[in-house]
Parts: sequence; structure tokens; C-alpha cells
Amino acid sequence: MKLTRRNFIAAVIGGIAGIQATPLPWKFTDDVAIWTQNWPWVPVPPTGEFSEVTSVCNLCPGGCGIVVKKVDDRAVKIEGRTDYPINPGGICPVGMGGLQLLYDESLRFTGPMKRVGLRGEGLFTEISWGEAFDMLAGRISTQRRKGAPEAVAAIDGSPEGTTVSELVKRLMRAVGSPNYVRPPSICDTYRMGNLLMQGTLSPMAYDLENSDFVLSFGCGLLEGWGAPGRVMNAWGMWHQGNPAKRKTRIVQVESRASNTASKADIWVAPRPGTDGALALGIAHVIIKSGKYDARFVSDHSWGFEDWRSMDGTRHTGFKTVVLEKYSPEKVAEITGVEPKTIVSLARAFAGAKAPVAIYGKGKDSLNGSLYEYMAVQSLNALVGSINRPGGVLLPDPLPLSNFPPMKVDSVAVGGLRKPRLDQAGTMRYPFSDSLINNFTDAINRAPRSPVDTLMVFSANPFFTLPDGGGFKKALEKIPFIVSFSPYRDETANMADLILPDSTYLEKMDDTVWPVGLQYPLYGLSQPVVEPLYNTKNVGDTVIELSRAIDDSVGSSFPWESFEEALKERAKGLFEAGEGLVSYDAGTPAWQRGGDRDKPGYSSFDEMWEAMKEGGMWYRPVGSPRDWQGLFNTPSKKFEFTSKLLVQAIADYSKGQSEKKALKDMGLSAPADEACMAHYEAPETTADRSEYPFLMLPYEMINLASGWIPSPPFLYKTIFENQLLKDKSFATVNPATAAKANLRQGDLVCIESQAGKVEARINLFEGAMPGIVYLPLGFGHTAYDEFLKGKGVNPNNVVQAGQDPISGYPVWWNTPVKLVKV
Amino acid sequence: MKDSVNSSKKTADKDGDTAPPGGLFPRWMKIDILAQDVGFFVLGLIGALVVGWIIFPAVLYSKHVQPINFNHALHLDSEKVDGVEGETKAEKCLFCHSFRDDGTFTGIPRLEKCTECHDDPESPLGETPEEKAFMAEYVADEKEIPWFVYSKQPDCVYFSHIAHVKMGEIDCETCHGNFADNEKLPIYEENRLTGYSRDIWGKRISGIYWNKEYSDRMKMDDCARCHTEKGQEQNNACFVCHK
Amino acid sequence: MKKENDHGKHKYGMVIDIDKCTGCGTCMVACAAENNVSVRADQSDKERTITWMRLYKISNGKPFPHTEISYIPRPCMHCDHHPPCVSVCVATATKLDFNTGIVSQIYTRCIGCRYCQAACPYGARYFNWWDAYFPKKKGLDRYLTPEVSPRMRGVVEKCTFCHHRFMRAKTVAYAEDRREIEEDEYITACTEACPAQAITFGDLNNPDHEVARLIKHPFTFRLLERIGTEPKVYYHSSRDWVRKLADNFLPGEYTPVVNQTWAEEEWSTKPGRDEF
Repeated sequence: MKLTRRNFIAAVIGGIAGIQATPLPWKFTDDVAIWTQNWPWVPVPPTGEFSEVTSVCNLCPGGCGIVVKKVDDRAVKIEGRTDYPINPGGICPVGMGGLQLLYDESLRFTGPMKRVGLRGEGLFTEISWGEAFDMLAGRISTQRRKGAPEAVAAIDGSPEGTTVSELVKRLMRAVGSPNYVRPPSICDTYRMGNLLMQGTLSPMAYDLENSDFVLSFGCGLLEGWGAPGRVMNAWGMWHQGNPAKRKTRIVQVESRASNTASKADIWVAPRPGTDGALALGIAHVIIKSGKYDARFVSDHSWGFEDWRSMDGTRHTGFKTVVLEKYSPEKVAEITGVEPKTIVSLARAFAGAKAPVAIYGKGKDSLNGSLYEYMAVQSLNALVGSINRPGGVLLPDPLPLSNFPPMKVDSVAVGGLRKPRLDQAGTMRYPFSDSLINNFTDAINRAPRSPVDTLMVFSANPFFTLPDGGGFKKALEKIPFIVSFSPYRDETANMADLILPDSTYLEKMDDTVWPVGLQYPLYGLSQPVVEPLYNTKNVGDTVIELSRAIDDSVGSSFPWESFEEALKERAKGLFEAGEGLVSYDAGTPAWQRGGDRDKPGYSSFDEMWEAMKEGGMWYRPVGSPRDWQGLFNTPSKKFEFTSKLLVQAIADYSKGQSEKKALKDMGLSAPADEACMAHYEAPETTADRSEYPFLMLPYEMINLASGWIPSPPFLYKTIFENQLLKDKSFATVNPATAAKANLRQGDLVCIESQAGKVEARINLFEGAMPGIVYLPLGFGHTAYDEFLKGKGVNPNNVVQAGQDPISGYPVWWNTPVKLVKV
Repeated sequence: MKDSVNSSKKTADKDGDTAPPGGLFPRWMKIDILAQDVGFFVLGLIGALVVGWIIFPAVLYSKHVQPINFNHALHLDSEKVDGVEGETKAEKCLFCHSFRDDGTFTGIPRLEKCTECHDDPESPLGETPEEKAFMAEYVADEKEIPWFVYSKQPDCVYFSHIAHVKMGEIDCETCHGNFADNEKLPIYEENRLTGYSRDIWGKRISGIYWNKEYSDRMKMDDCARCHTEKGQEQNNACFVCHK
Repeated sequence: MKKENDHGKHKYGMVIDIDKCTGCGTCMVACAAENNVSVRADQSDKERTITWMRLYKISNGKPFPHTEISYIPRPCMHCDHHPPCVSVCVATATKLDFNTGIVSQIYTRCIGCRYCQAACPYGARYFNWWDAYFPKKKGLDRYLTPEVSPRMRGVVEKCTFCHHRFMRAKTVAYAEDRREIEEDEYITACTEACPAQAITFGDLNNPDHEVARLIKHPFTFRLLERIGTEPKVYYHSSRDWVRKLADNFLPGEYTPVVNQTWAEEEWSTKPGRDEF
């Protein structure tokens, strides 16, 4: 038999017929279909045992309680804790996206590294921890041997009062450098204002939940001020039920229709930088109509009426000045707010049962103005809302133990005697702790950098400082920079050495009294997962570093680990007694009275274990405090006119004319007025005919603008008129845009004397005419594909002035021009 | 070339069109030629059947031996293993293949479960070489055993064991077949195309089951058929079994 | 008109209080994190980026300083009456489950024709132009949850009312020998995450559930209510301009909510801000 063509065809036909009777075609089709449903490159998340770990979010000083869902060893979701006093259930979007900051390897340093590329390039090579400690300790030792320990400087962004910040301060003291600098924060303004008017040092405590009228001067209540979990929870509570019968009214004072302004009951829009004048206008109406709390003013305050000094000179008091200078008509001229609005606001504020005036500028991560804060606090005093439920409370500071006294060797004593580079605490800036813009200037002005080694902790000043790029220039001059950041941020990319911290989900850490909370709270976060990489808790790093420097420095750090140091401070919490370490959602911590469980621990160790488990120590809000000894000012009263300021101005005027001294301190008001809340018009060197607009940076809750990178998730929440491809948008009023002949989406160059950036135009009726609003948080030049090169950083345009007396940067007054590209 | 094609066509036409001089039928209908055709047809047919029924399944599935042999029968003997008790087989199975407190199913036990008894690598509990190998390779190094999972479903499938075993009172073997009496783990077969275990499609490559016993397959239709039979049609909604 | 879902046991739905909503976007992030939603480098192209829950920003359009903005969070509406996406699906990849009222979407069944996307009046459906992006070399696949299957390119996805949480709640109930689940045992990720408690989730069929009470409120409305798809996501706002934007009203068509009684309380015509 021969295989002919014909036979072959017969066989093929037989084959085709036969194959139908086999499973092959049917099974094959089925399998191919399944094959297309399971591409090997689509991840299949492994399953396992589900568990939960509770901790405290450390991404901002708010310290919300979080619960992390895990599958075996992997963390898969972050949620808010319902058994935590600050945020009963909710957290902010940044905290919600936190896992990307843990798991995105290209955002992080995977171990200690030294720079191999150019500064800013971000090229590093991994070294061992031993090598890293040797390098840094050697550098510091050399400075100490040279007798110049002050050339070692530290910038520390960990919130004031946390154990890490205490350790870094201690390290700087032990090394012998006075140059411990902090990035600005609204807490600086609160601290200084409270010191001057109340003589208190405890954190700001606004009893928002119990208030029935919240008059917010610029506080970004819905933009992330304070602990976002707490404020937004309160917001939901305020809007619960019948809107006609709502207890709490909210008024937002801000120049832009932000979320807070739009969602508030009333939005009042004064020109930027004139909030203080508006507050004084309201004070004027209240004083004039006699609606102020005469009892508080007469019994517990000083400087309201005119007064005589020791030498018999007559000085004007708050009342006289306010009545003379801040009539609604005059204030209307300054602020642009109509007089009748000022009058009705004043009536509503004074008429409320528990009004509170709160002060802020967006989130809490940038400073405010001292006099503005004093004006707002004066309003609280006028209506007696100080030390009263629903107002401003004056609790004691957290009873944390101090570290044991330390020995400071002769080298360190010599170094500590040197003046601070930023002049904070000098006669010119008598009440300031730290002035980072001055620090930057000092380096930029000097021919050779006075700082040899700069250590940067939990901060990214390259990106976050409103200084028109001044800090970046300073970094270029500093010979040796060390970053302790877990993230590959802009500042870390300029560093020569990286000693990476673990991320907040991999380590133990503490949070101390979230901004604005009305009761003392100490939060303790727990590692949620084991450190993924070769990183170290920065607290441990500081302790080990101290030992690597020399015995003299190391002896100030007697703890075996960071946890020991945490425990040492927490002992004070135990000794103070009465603190609760668990939370029952049924009795919120801001509610007075009510049955509460007793602390339920009898020894420190028991308390510590309970704190580690629950993550908290707090004392629910109590009854108002005894007036006796409440105010620690020279007059022992609330001071409308600050005696400390009187003294400080007198001190500074010694040997020169008072007028010149005041001018030097940035003041245009006469001496009496300078000692109380008053309005100072922000100054600028720019020619306003050339730079006709003002640029105002603004913050959003759904974008991190501080030292923490934004989780990429957040970019889903950004609108296409805030960011499109690589361009962010400048928001302007349509009328303003029409004047400059600009339309929606036009690309413009926003130029100030300090710098320029390119952005697209977004027209928005809710923007104040004449002002260009730029969002903070965009424009990273570091990190990875998710964040890098998206939009522009308004800080590069900010031409910062100086706030009178305090010396903090005035970042809200930058004249700019718009040039269409 | 063109010419030759044409000429051969012509020849073919001629063959077909005109009857040969010697017979009633055209030449192509001659019995021997037809027989040849049938022969080749059958040859092709048989070839295809062989390919489809024997070669195809053999090629489609790769065979894997489990990393170690686990003796189910031995471990289900309550006299030998402490704690394996219960009136039904399912209760015994649940000793190792257990539910967690949140109702989720542990599936194939982790090493942790094994080391509850086999805790000391130095002293095996039995005498089999398998156990020794297990102790040396896995227990000593605290390494998880990379089991091949016969009943592994794709990622898009959600299956609640507790709904079926506890609430539906269905025996394990209804779906998994009788593993309890196995002394030796069967060879694991993996579909090279889909990556699925053969147990999903079933041992019967045809996929045809006349007598409604489908205990050895785990396709979606089987789930649906059982739901319907048990009067649980509402559980045929897509999201009940898909995620 | 007879409703298809009358016989169903549960009818899960949601009420979103626009007065409480602060526009923070936590719901969007919570949703993406909960449901393994792909995050690509460029999220600014809103026609390509996937957001099951999406915030829309609306404005009253008044000039400065009377401008007001508000936000409308938009999940899948889980339409109860002939969901437009279900009617057009050629592959039966999307169905309305009468037992839960949830509109399901099966990715492995979807053929990517995008009819449903075109049919959805709410823009709640998203097409995967690319495979799920969780680059392994960055380690971003490590936070994925096994409860929701990641999607391949070429299929449509949408909000599922966190159906896996329903299954999780049932599993827990079974472990505790219960067949029914409590109101707070099954809530969506966005409901749970909202820091202002603006979202309420529950069974609309169950009169004991908060949602069933809230939807009777005169300030409650739905988006594009008049097209008759009976969405199960309700909104609540005391502001007339917000309610007015919920549908394409012709001039004079919209009637403001005036003097309605609800739960024996008199409602003022000018609630909230207008009282001053």
C-alpha cells in the first residue's frame, strides 16, 4: 500500500472525524479560555491566617489609633481604631494609604548607605552599620577634638516632646553644639503666644467637642489641622441630626473657599495676613457693646485697662487701643470684610454659650504669626472662654519623667557657650527656640559654612521649608550631611551618609499630645511587621551613635535600647497616677463626668504592658482648674498686654532709641501697642507694580506636604484641575485671570523675586481676586515614578518675610507676577 | 510548472468523468480503492483517537510526586494519633484541616501543626523513612513543605468551607474524594496550559459523567448542580463563589 | 411597577450625608486599598485611572465670597431596577443578585467589550487598559489582600459594596453558629473609613437598620433618580443647591424641600447656615 495524496486525505478526514470523538478539542478550548484568565504576571495574593495588630499612626503628630489587618506576615490594610480616644474609627487618607510607604521599596533606604553619585542624584551604595557609625562618629569626634563641636548641627522634625526629639537634643548637648534646629510648626506660635499671655507651657488645648461656636481663624479643620481623625470625627458629630437644631456653629476665616470654608456655616474671607485685624475688629464690637465677660477681664486678666508703670508713666491698655484703632469700618479697610459682617460675627460669638476662637494656618505643619495668635486668644479672653468647658483649656503638661541629669564635658561646655547660628533666644528673638530660616541665612551668608556636619532627623527641609529654595543652597555648602530618614527624600538625596530609620509600621515610637487636643494623651506605637530591611529605629541609632563618638558622650545615654528610654520617661506617667490605658467608646475622653473604669494597673510594669497593648495613656478632660496659680505670667493673670514683651522690648532698647529697636524687631506700632495683640501690615521689598499678585501656598488633606512622602494611592483623589500629567494648577479667580488674559488650563510662569515655577491655571470663583493659590505637596524631585516630577513646589517661590518679635517666616505674603508661557 | 499542474488536473477529470472500459463503475469506486480509502480513514481515525484519548492527556498534564508522602490512613487512626477523634470522618479531618476562630479554613496544615506532635527532629514518632526525611528536611530547618494542592482553585474563586462542612453538613469526601484511607499520596498532575490541578477537571478526561457521580471533579458546573439539587439556587449568584 | 428585588432577602444600600462629607478622600483610598485597585504612575487621566469610589467636586457657582463647594462620593449605585449594565452585558459577567441587591462583576467572565461602561449612567465602571500594576521589583505586591482577586487587562471592574466583607461576616457568623449577620458586621470599607461618619450602610429591607430609616428623610435624594434605575445609594443634604445638582432639572422643575415633618420634628426652610 502506498501513501498517495488520496490516501493522505482519507487519513486526514479520518483524523478530523476521530478527533471530534475525543476530549481534545473541547478540553483544549476550555483550557485555552482558562489560560487567558490567569496571566502569570497578574499577581495572586497568597492567603493565610488573618490577624489584626493595633498601633498608633505616626505619619503626623496627630497620632490616630490604627488597626492593621494582616494575612500571615503581610500587612494588607490599615483601618482606624474604634477603641482609641482621638479618632473613634476614622483616619485621614494619608494614614489610610500608609502601607505603600512600608512596602514601596523604591521610596525607601534598605540599609545604611554612603553617597557615590553627585549630591541630589540619589546614588548610594550600601555599607554596614558599623562603617556608618564609624564614619559619623569619627566626623563628630574630629570636631570635638578641634574644639569646635558647635560645627555639628541637627535639624529635627520629630514632634516636640517625643522621646526621639529629647534624645537628639541630649545628643547635641552631650556633643556640645547649641545648633539644634527644628522646622517651623504652628505649635511654635502657640507656645510663644501662651507663654506671653498665659505663662503656660502646656500644649494648645481647644475643647472643640464641647463648644457651640467655633470661630476658626485659618485653621484647616478639614485640611488636616491637629489630629485629623479627631477633628473630622467632631465635624461629623456637629452635623449629626436635624440641621435646624444643630448645637455647634462653625465659622471659617480664610481667603479661599477651602473645604473647611465651604463646609462651615459661615465663611468670612479677609485678605491674607489680616486675620489679626479681623479678630481685633470683632473685639472692638464686643467691647463697645459691653458684651464681654467683665468678670474674667477684671478678676483674671491684666492689661485690658490703661495702666501705669513703676515710674508713673501712663500706658494704654488693650481696650483703649482696640476701641481707637479697630472700628469695623477701619478693619473693613484692612481686611476687605464688610463692617456688618464683623458686627454680626461679634454678636454671634459673644452671644454663644461656649464660644471658642481658634487659630491656625492650614495644617499645623507651618508656623503662624504671633500677633495674629494673640489677637485670637484675646477674643477668647474677652468672652471668658479660657479655662471654661468648650473654650481654651489650660491643662498641665504631660507628666513624663525627665531623663537623668547628664555630665557635659569641657569640650561640650565650650561649644554650648557659642551663640546659636539662628540667633533664637537672643535679645532680638527673645522667645524663639529655633529659627530655621535664620540658620539657613547664616550658612548662606558666610564665606565658608559654619556647619561642618549636619544631621537631619525626620525632616525634609529641602522640600518643606517656605524659603524660596534657600535651604537647598545652604545644603550645597555644608561639607558633610547625614540623613536618618527612612525615605529617599530630597534632603536625603543631598546627604553623604544615610543611617536609615525604620518606617512607622516597623518600630516602637511615641506620640505626645496631638496638636490642639484638650486632654493629655501619650500614644505608643508598636511594630506592626518586623523591619523589612536593614534599618534601625532612630532612637536606637542615636543611642548607639553616642557610644561610638566617645565615652564622655556615650555616658549620657545609659539605656540599652530605645524602649528603655521610652520606659524611663513613661515612669512619670505612672507616678502621676489616674491615667487611663484603655478606652471605651461609650464615654468619649472629651466628655466630662460619666462613669469611667479605674486605671486598672498597680505597678509600672503592668501599666507599661497595658500601654504597649493599648497604645495609649490619657486623662479624660476634667473640670475647669482652680484660678489660683493658673497663669504663670508676671502678673499671675491672663495678660492682654504682655509684661514679658514689655520687658523684652525694654531690654532690646537699651543703648539705642526705642523707635529703632522696635523697627529692628519688625514692629511699626508704638511700644504700648507692640506689647499686645495688634495688626502689623506684612512688609515686602517687592515692587507691587511689577509683582501685582500675591502667591499663597495652600494645603490639602489628601496630599502629604511634610517630610513624609504621599502614598501613591492619594493621587487617585487629586482632581484633574489640581494635577494633570506633570503639571499642577494655580487656582485664581476668573476676574483675576481675565485681567491677566488667562484662561482655564493656560500654562503660566509664576514669578517672585525668590524664584519661579510653571503651573496651569485653574479658574475658581472661590479664590480671592488678586491671589494665586498653589497647592503644597507637589513638585517632588526625589522618590519614584509615582511622586517625582509631578507639579511644582510653591515653596520655591515663597519670598519669606519675618514675623515681628518671633522671627518666624511669613510665608503668606509673596508678591508674584503671572507670565503666560 | 503551471503546465504540469494543469495536465494532472486534466487527468484527474478524465478519471472521474469517464467510466473505465472494463466495469460498471468509475475507477474510483472500485472496491480495492474504496477499501484503501476506508483503511486510511480508519487509520486516521484511530490515530486521532489515540492522540485525543491517550497522548493528549499524557502531554497535557505534568506529573509531580509530593515532596514527602503523607499517610492519611495512619494519621486518622485515633489510637495512634492523639486528638483525632470524632464520629464522622469530617470531624477527624478537622483535627488538622481545621477552622480558625474567624471561621476561615486553614486548608493544608502548616508545619506548625505537624510539629505539635513531631516536635523533636531527633526522635521521630514512627519508623518510616518518610518521617525521618520529613524531620531532617523540614522540621529541623523549620521549612514549610511545598505541597502540591490537589484541590487548588484559581484566584477568582471564593469557597467557604465552613458554609459547606458545618452549615451544609457535607462530607469532605463529597468533593475531595476519599483521602482518609489513603496510605500514599496520589501523583499530582498539573495542567500545563492552565496550571490547574487535574482534580479540578477530574480524572475522566472526557469530562462526561453519566451517573451523576462527580466526586472527583470541582468545576463550576458541579458546584451549581449541587446547589440546585439541594434547593440552594440562590447560591448560584455569581458573587457567592467569585471574588 | 413591580420591582424585581421585592422577593430578595436583603437589599444592601448606602446613605451618604453630604453635609458631613468633608471631601477628604479617605473613602477613595480605603476602597482602593481594600479592593486591590491598581495604582499607576499617572493617576491624573481620570478616564484611565480606576476609582471604584470617586469624589466629585461640585460648586454652587456663586461669585466670591459666596462660593461654596461640596463633594459627592460616588460608588456603584447598585441599581435595583434593570441595572443598565446588566441588561447590556453580552457575557453575563455582571448580574444583580436578588438576595443581596448587589450588582456583581466577574472579571474572568468579562470579555472587555465595555458596553456596560457606556450604559452606566453614573460612570461607575472602569476598564482595565493595563494589567494590575503592583510592581514586584518595588515590592508593592506585598500589601495585596487575598480577599479580592487582582484584575487582568481588558476587563471592566467596579465597586462591589465590598462583597468579600459580606462573605467574611457570614463566615464569622457560621463559626459562631449563626445564619444571620448583624447590622454592624457587614459594612463597606468606605463606610468604615469615613472619619466624619458620613456614610451609613445596611439592609434597606430591614426596618431596624439605620439606612431604612434615613432614606425616608425629606433631605434624602438619589442621583439621576428620574431615569428609574432605583439606585441603592442615597444622599442626604440640607442644601438645596446640592440636591438640585443631583439631576438635570429644567428651569422650574425642581421643588425645594419645604416644611416637611419627619420623626415629629419641624424642619425649617432655611436650616443651618441661613439662620444667621
